[in-house]
Amino acid sequence: MRMEFEENIDAKSGRPGEEYNMHAHRFNLGFYMKLAATNLYKNGKAYIPYLLTCIFTILMYYVMGAIARNEGLQEMRGAETMRSVMQVAMIITGIFATIFLLYTNSILIKQRKKELGLYHVLGLDKGNLARMLAWESVYTAVVSLVAGILGGIVLGKLMFLVLLKMIQIPVPLAFSIEMSAVVESVELFVGIFFLSFLWNVWQVGRTNPIELLHGSQEGEREPKTKLLATAIGILTLGFGYYIAQVTDNPLSAVSNVFFAVILVIIGTYAIFMAGSIALLKCLKKWKNYYYQTKHFTNVAGMLYRMKQNAVGLANICIMSCAVLSLISVTLSLYLGAEDILQTRYPRDYTGYVYQAEEERVELEQQIVKEEAERAGVEIANRVSCHIGSITTLRDENHLLGELDDSQPNLDSIYGVYVIPIEDYNKAEGKSESLETDEVLLYLPEGSFSQETLWIGETEWKVKEKLETFSLEKMSEGMGLKMIWLVMDSKDTIASLAAQYGRLWSDSFFYKDTFDLVGDAKARESAWQSISQRLSGELGNVSSYWQEERRESYYISNGGYLFVGVFVGTLFLVGMVLIIYYKQISEGYDDKARYQIMKKVGMNRREIKSTIHSQVLTLFFLPLGMAILHIAFAFRMFGQVLKAFSLSNTMLEFYCTAGTAAVFTLFYIGVFFLTSREYYRIVR
Amino acid sequence: MTVLEVQNVKKIYTTRNGGNQVEALKDVNFSVETGEFVAIMGESGSGKTTLLNILAALDKPTGGRVRLNGQDLSQVKDKEMAAFRRENLGFVFQDFNLLDTFSLEDNIYLPLVLAGQKHVVMAKRLWPIAQELGITSLLKKYPYEVSGGQKQRAAVARALITKPQIILADEPTGALDSKASDELMRIFGQINQEGQTILMVTHSVKAASHAGRVLFIKDGEVFHQIYRGNQSDEEMYQKISASLTVLMTGGEQ
Repeated sequence: MRMEFEENIDAKSGRPGEEYNMHAHRFNLGFYMKLAATNLYKNGKAYIPYLLTCIFTILMYYVMGAIARNEGLQEMRGAETMRSVMQVAMIITGIFATIFLLYTNSILIKQRKKELGLYHVLGLDKGNLARMLAWESVYTAVVSLVAGILGGIVLGKLMFLVLLKMIQIPVPLAFSIEMSAVVESVELFVGIFFLSFLWNVWQVGRTNPIELLHGSQEGEREPKTKLLATAIGILTLGFGYYIAQVTDNPLSAVSNVFFAVILVIIGTYAIFMAGSIALLKCLKKWKNYYYQTKHFTNVAGMLYRMKQNAVGLANICIMSCAVLSLISVTLSLYLGAEDILQTRYPRDYTGYVYQAEEERVELEQQIVKEEAERAGVEIANRVSCHIGSITTLRDENHLLGELDDSQPNLDSIYGVYVIPIEDYNKAEGKSESLETDEVLLYLPEGSFSQETLWIGETEWKVKEKLETFSLEKMSEGMGLKMIWLVMDSKDTIASLAAQYGRLWSDSFFYKDTFDLVGDAKARESAWQSISQRLSGELGNVSSYWQEERRESYYISNGGYLFVGVFVGTLFLVGMVLIIYYKQISEGYDDKARYQIMKKVGMNRREIKSTIHSQVLTLFFLPLGMAILHIAFAFRMFGQVLKAFSLSNTMLEFYCTAGTAAVFTLFYIGVFFLTSREYYRIVR
Repeated sequence: MTVLEVQNVKKIYTTRNGGNQVEALKDVNFSVETGEFVAIMGESGSGKTTLLNILAALDKPTGGRVRLNGQDLSQVKDKEMAAFRRENLGFVFQDFNLLDTFSLEDNIYLPLVLAGQKHVVMAKRLWPIAQELGITSLLKKYPYEVSGGQKQRAAVARALITKPQIILADEPTGALDSKASDELMRIFGQINQEGQTILMVTHSVKAASHAGRVLFIKDGEVFHQIYRGNQSDEEMYQKISASLTVLMTGGEQ
């Protein structure tokens, strides 16, 4: 192939006569195809890493897409949240892939300007060059898409098997080929390759042949301080951090996560690209600092390098964040399963009787009593009450002020739980009484300063604001902010719930919780028959057994942990590849520079320590930034966890800190490996 | 006073798989007095570069001795070598060897920064040198922004700023056009006038004709030398050309 190509060129440029007249536009299709293939082959040293990067990015994107659509995952508890998290992750990966691949391509085409200039001089006009470049893009796209998606399928299956084995969680997950994920990956990456192609054509089009010939010799300019970009970086980053700090509602957390993440990504890129240069320039102006042996070459070297590598460093930072957040959140979720369980199902048995009319509740009591006696177990720690549940907006002392479906402010959504005075008295051991227009009010978080409360158009007198409330545990712990009200009768509550309940879960129901004491088998059979009789004789009930719930929690939360570890590992592998490739290619760049310094009088030890501190800074800049991001995201992750009924800040902290520590250790390992390689090259 | 003494220097390279030995330097003897401007000429392969590397302490001779100000180079410990070279030797290379990451000013400061000098001291030293070399207006520029001649002048400034015992120049005009070459040689002449000792290896008759003495190396030995005495540059040029012709035709003089 190569020989034929060279003959072609000879025919064009060398010999006058018939062949010489063969004008450029008459080259046939095969010519461009061969030429493009030869180019890629000859530029292998630069192209293979690029191709590998493309393949890996596609692989990553496809695998994420496939997981988001995984059937096993769809059936899990909280699948909705999980799916939106995965969707956020995919969008982030998409943005990331676009920036990264376009950037890599632009460096590649810059290096190749000389070669393209040569073709131009030899007789290919710009149109011909564009056709050649088009074929190159087609090859790159086809090879990397096929390899990426096939690799994604194979690697996905493999990692599923290995990881599932490793975590030892009985997760009902299997990795399958998702056609829609394939289509989505192809669409995105064909788009990216097309943009790259347009960029290349534009680059070739706007430069004249002489410039093309000299293209790669163009000296590196010293980077300019970009104040605007720095400011944008600081602002977006600050705003992202701010959002993460003020999000105190689990429902809005997921959508805010998305916004904050986008802002922080933009901020990270801007800070690395512009802010770091501004900082280094300041250091350079500080003469007593700059002109010191250990800072001199480092500051100048980094300033020079920052421009080339800011994007690479930002990528590493963002990938680190992805790894850290995915693993720490899913780990918290897994380790917190017991916590969640205790919040939602504090007793052995938790049952709901909907449409809590007198006779239905009595029948429930009777069934529970009969079956417990028959199985020979005792009922203990029984807590039960009637609850009217209304999910609504709160505006100070107005509930249901103006609830329209258009744009609820998620922060003002409250879960209002209303219980009758008799249940309250029974639980607290009191004998309070209420008039028909009076309520007792309990607010777990925040304060209530008014004396009256409006529900819709009705005004209620707040007879007392309660300090403690033992029935608090009867809430569902869905992460909503709560208001507890005590009213005079069940009828009042039932009619309120019927009138104002908006969500499917809003109704007037009877919640019964208790432990069963006795032989394990007997307890199990008692629960089985209670549950059977309730649904058979009563209908419109639901009942849960803690043991059974525990198992299902560990399965679904184990599934999340699995997804977190899986995607985290994927990002980690990508990150290590980027770091390694970056260090090695820089090593070849820096080799000549260190030779000069040696000649001017730098000894081996000084060179080694300079390299060490430079690589160290470049390595730990993104890690430090990533850890800072995670620290600011901590609160928001807490809110996301609340959406899964987990609110255990200490646990979350240990999981996050532990993940960060392990990650840092791993990172240090990669650092030593690559800096050793780097030193071997420049030595 | 003698700055540099080269006695019976011999260099034999052994190919890696043992067999062949190549004698790059057979037996080189010469010395350089303080304030001299010496040019070394010879064909490719005559051993010029090997000799310069040995003088620069970048390479060790197989036999013989090199003394700088009475100090035997082979006695300097490896650890101290970088500092020794930094303090005693100034280098000017054919391909400038300036770092793209630094401005010309910072490139010139580099050896002093490595020696741990304060910025104030460095700035004080730079000023007169920069003026003499005519690069004051270029100091903030980067190597890729200036011409070859300007780069080489910055490299000379970098060599001078450490106040070295001797400047070793390896084909300093090799990458310059004739105008820039003339300018550089004029500068070399001028700093030599002010007392700087210079040893220059070159191919160029024109460049060598500025020197006070020219040594010719052939087959690893000093074959011949010419003193300037009171001759003008033109007369030197003629004489060097004649000597080279003899050298190349086999030396049947």
